[in-house]
Amino acid sequence: MTLRTEEFVVNMGPHHPSTHGVCRLLLTLDGERVKKVEPIIGYLHRAIEKICENRTYPQCIPILDRFEYVTAMSCNYVFSLAAERLAQIEVPERAEYLRVIMLELNRIASHLLFYGVTAMDIGAYTPFLYGLRERELIIDLFEMTCGQRLTYNYIRIGGVSQDIPPEFAPKCREAVRIIGEKMSDYEGLLNENPIWLARTKGIGILKPEDAIAWGVSGPVLRASGVKHDLRRDDPYSIYDRFDFDIPVQPNGDTFDRYIQRLDEIRESLKIITQALDGLEGLEDNTIKAKVSPNFKPPAGEVYARIENSRGELGVYVISDGSKKPLRVKARGGSYNQLQALPLMCHDVMVADLVAIFATLDVIMPEVDR
Amino acid sequence: MNGFSDFLELHPLFSWLFDLLKSTGLQDPWLHLVHYGALSVMMFGLLALIALFLVWWERKIAGHIQQRFGPMRHGWHGWYQTVMDAIKLLQKEDVKIALRDKPVFFWAPIVCFVAAFCVYVVMPFGENLIVADLNIGILYVLAITTWTVISLLMAGWGSNNKYALLGGMRSAAQIVSYEVPMALSILTPILFVSSLSMNDIVLSQSGPIYNWFIFRLPFGPIAFLTFIVAGTAEANRTPFDIPEAEQELVSGYNVEYSGMKFAMFFLAEFVNMFTIAAVAVTIFFGGWNGFEFLPSWLWFLGKTLLIVLLLMLFRWTYPRLRVDQLMVFAWKFLVPLTFANLIIAGLFKHLGWYW
Amino acid sequence: MTREELTQHIIGKFGGRVIHLEAGKYDPLFEIKAEDIVDICRQLKEDPYLSFDYLANLGGVDTTEHFEVVYNLASVFKKLRVDLKVILPYDRAEIDSVIEVWPSANWYERELWELYGINVRNHPNLTRFLLPDDWDQGYPMRKDWDAPDFIRMPER
Repeated sequence: MTLRTEEFVVNMGPHHPSTHGVCRLLLTLDGERVKKVEPIIGYLHRAIEKICENRTYPQCIPILDRFEYVTAMSCNYVFSLAAERLAQIEVPERAEYLRVIMLELNRIASHLLFYGVTAMDIGAYTPFLYGLRERELIIDLFEMTCGQRLTYNYIRIGGVSQDIPPEFAPKCREAVRIIGEKMSDYEGLLNENPIWLARTKGIGILKPEDAIAWGVSGPVLRASGVKHDLRRDDPYSIYDRFDFDIPVQPNGDTFDRYIQRLDEIRESLKIITQALDGLEGLEDNTIKAKVSPNFKPPAGEVYARIENSRGELGVYVISDGSKKPLRVKARGGSYNQLQALPLMCHDVMVADLVAIFATLDVIMPEVDR
Repeated sequence: MNGFSDFLELHPLFSWLFDLLKSTGLQDPWLHLVHYGALSVMMFGLLALIALFLVWWERKIAGHIQQRFGPMRHGWHGWYQTVMDAIKLLQKEDVKIALRDKPVFFWAPIVCFVAAFCVYVVMPFGENLIVADLNIGILYVLAITTWTVISLLMAGWGSNNKYALLGGMRSAAQIVSYEVPMALSILTPILFVSSLSMNDIVLSQSGPIYNWFIFRLPFGPIAFLTFIVAGTAEANRTPFDIPEAEQELVSGYNVEYSGMKFAMFFLAEFVNMFTIAAVAVTIFFGGWNGFEFLPSWLWFLGKTLLIVLLLMLFRWTYPRLRVDQLMVFAWKFLVPLTFANLIIAGLFKHLGWYW
Repeated sequence: MTREELTQHIIGKFGGRVIHLEAGKYDPLFEIKAEDIVDICRQLKEDPYLSFDYLANLGGVDTTEHFEVVYNLASVFKKLRVDLKVILPYDRAEIDSVIEVWPSANWYERELWELYGINVRNHPNLTRFLLPDDWDQGYPMRKDWDAPDFIRMPER
């Protein structure tokens, strides 16, 4: 006699400690196994694109700050890149070095936050505090430069808004040194822990051809084995001057996605050191090209994309020659990763779903705009 | 020195209290009823104080592991933080879901609380400091700790909530599974004591320190390790805290409780943790035995608090096991291991290779 | 290959079906008719020199005269980028779905339908997405959409 079981639908609702932000997952469960996952989004839709159509170009930058607030420097930068490509503005060299330093510091801060939150979702509470302790060093550097801790409005069209104070460079080197030392702490705490390995190895495998077909980018794509990084393949700013590796992982499971981001922190530390060295040798102190307050780029369209800590952050800007953009279509890496979530959650348990969702590092404002 | 520690021993105090009671002229059975009733109330008060202390201690330990301070405001290093928390929980609104199963919802926290406290009737706090030295002491402990399963199932069912039900069922499966290795690892030292009474277990470890069961190789340390692992699972502590995993089921079986009912579950968890540590100390570490310069109850408390510290360190270091990994670990690894350990211990006893 | 070579290759491959637009300031931009879109996308994906296997972005535009749908394509292994554009008149705002070429177009097209009102044929799941479930106030991203609390910035 077979036991008759019934599937039941459970809502992992918008208010939940482990869906990062407000994401609703409709799970169809058969006992403890997940049969179907359906992400329902739209709880954080703020109509950023419609608002941007109604603002001048410099006014769009603080609005796009909120598009993905964990790496707000990247959002500022990608829009400035689009505007500069439209109007063929040349950015001074000091500004480019400062931009690279800020972008990489932001990437490290985002990955440290990922480390803490993922560990907490899988049950280890202590790495959260360790990751955030180092992130404070970086946020202090940002506060020193532009006064803000989270949404910066620092990278403007044509350059950056303020120069760094003289105490920035030694403090930045100190922070880089400390984070480099603590990386071995982070890895020692979790990487060889049998419970951690049992929870993350072999869970939620994403094959490379699926990843590309579903538009996944960033650390998730590289953890599946595809060596694609926009800093190397589609270079922007002065990234072609720096010497860094692109780590990839072979399997594409949860453990690889976690290791991938820790490796990327190391590469970013290298880039920052090289950028700080390059900054010292510059004589020209201009940090911003001359851009008129009534910035009117010529009519045209451009798709600017950068490598964010979540994947490809892209902005498609259409200009019709006036002060306001005709269309700003923003695209973040988390959008595609959330779309690809059902692929990875085939017949897993609820606890695995939480682990997979944590390592995708989805930020809901990027999905909902 | 001897006089000092003898002065601090508490059993003369209790004998004096008993004589005082007798002198009022009460007859049996009223005499014993009042006597045991008073002892139970005193023990309850002591345990409440211990639970309060443990909550504060856990928060301080967690803070220091995570490189922060923990509670600092209420008193020196926040020592009366828990009192403030209890007052806060007392004045919270008691939210009751409309569609709950009323009697089940009401009685679940009470059953949990009572189950946690009933165990201490047989706990040897010191020399002659047991409320009731039952001759089935350790069996009574095992039976009462299983009561928690019923209360968790009641909480899950009565909340009328899918999450709570999932949490309740998971925890029932977990606790029942880990009862088996726990009972087997308790049985191993019992083989040598030939008695189930808690006092006898402690007395059989008196004398030099190598009499403690943990030092009786090779089955002593193995029994202790399996007992601690099974005990952590019994107490629903990380790495086995699936029933109350905040990140997955938003606090599991006690998600719909608020105010004092929630406080009962919360305190019962800490008392359970103290129970596991106290049983471990009684069976493996010699109970209240120790050098003569400190009174016996201080030894008992000190050793128990050290084991509690170990359990707390587990919580703040390790991630959580998934529920099927937990079951596999219990049934496919711990149960065969404890069986093998028991057989080896039996062999040693039969061949006379022990002291 | 460089951007000029890419432009020449695509023009040579498709002939009159694509029109190279000068408005694309960085990557080559081509205009395509609405009927051809799925076929051209499939050929771009399967061409061994191009292999555009990655759909980076799919968005709608409302210039005040017509709708446009913009596709930003990328080739992961050949490191190429191209933009495609389809112009749709207001009264015939319909387009075929490119889901069979790139599965990632799923949510992008759903958003296109929801915010612009462009009907996407052959889409498996055209339902409410970003807006609330009981939304009945039209298609917000259109330029002629108005609401009582939508205040335009005053000109300075």
